[in-house]
Amino acid sequence: MKVKIKSWMGVATWRWIANDENCGICRMSFENCCPECSLPGDDCPLVWGACSHCFHMHCIVKWLNSQPNSQQCPMCRQNWKFNIQ
Amino acid sequence: MSLVSKMESKSSATSPSERRLHKELLALIKEPPPGVKVDVDSVGKNLQEWKINIDGVEGTLYEGEHFQLLFKFNNKYPFDSPEVTFIGSNIPVHPHVYSNGHICLSILTDDWSPALSVQSVCLSISSMLSSCREKKRPPDNTLYVKTCNKNPKKTKWWYHDDTV
Repeated sequence: MKVKIKSWMGVATWRWIANDENCGICRMSFENCCPECSLPGDDCPLVWGACSHCFHMHCIVKWLNSQPNSQQCPMCRQNWKFNIQ
Repeated sequence: MSLVSKMESKSSATSPSERRLHKELLALIKEPPPGVKVDVDSVGKNLQEWKINIDGVEGTLYEGEHFQLLFKFNNKYPFDSPEVTFIGSNIPVHPHVYSNGHICLSILTDDWSPALSVQSVCLSISSMLSSCREKKRPPDNTLYVKTCNKNPKKTKWWYHDDTV
């Protein structure tokens, strides 16, 4: 039997490669977005700190903005620096 | 319907703080750490107040005693710490616990982090009790209890003793 492909549709899955399953701030899984967003992916990205801890960008920014005096990682309390890769 | 199944069927909780509290409550009901039990009936509909029963740990000065903690959350939780006090008839006699139930513990104010949780706060308080070597009230108890704000988060705490 000969099969002739008339058309095809590619489907891909994706996931973040993070060292944890859940965001330590909102406790939502990284496959999902932060509680303020409705669509996971590029609109609700993950960010890493120099300390290697990872959060939803919206969650960590909200935390840092609420801390006028010191900017610490919620997990390890080291000074928070964004790890730009 | 049990509370747990009722809560699980509640599809989308409203605010971000409610969503996180909802997750924490389910986890605490399903897998409570030893000696920590949430009083499910005390949890208000909007999850903003919980009562939690804590048992004194065996082999410590508080063995056999039972305590109750009141947690109050605002809508900024977990960016803002919960207000946590001992309530009820048995307030532990401890150098960092005032007789009105206020607790001098840095993670409840200055050292709060959104990565902490109801469970980790309960365990910190339990271990604070467990490491106590002599049951006594804080030296400034009488004055503090007379003059303090009702909300312990309004107190400017002075953390100076990490040993108990």
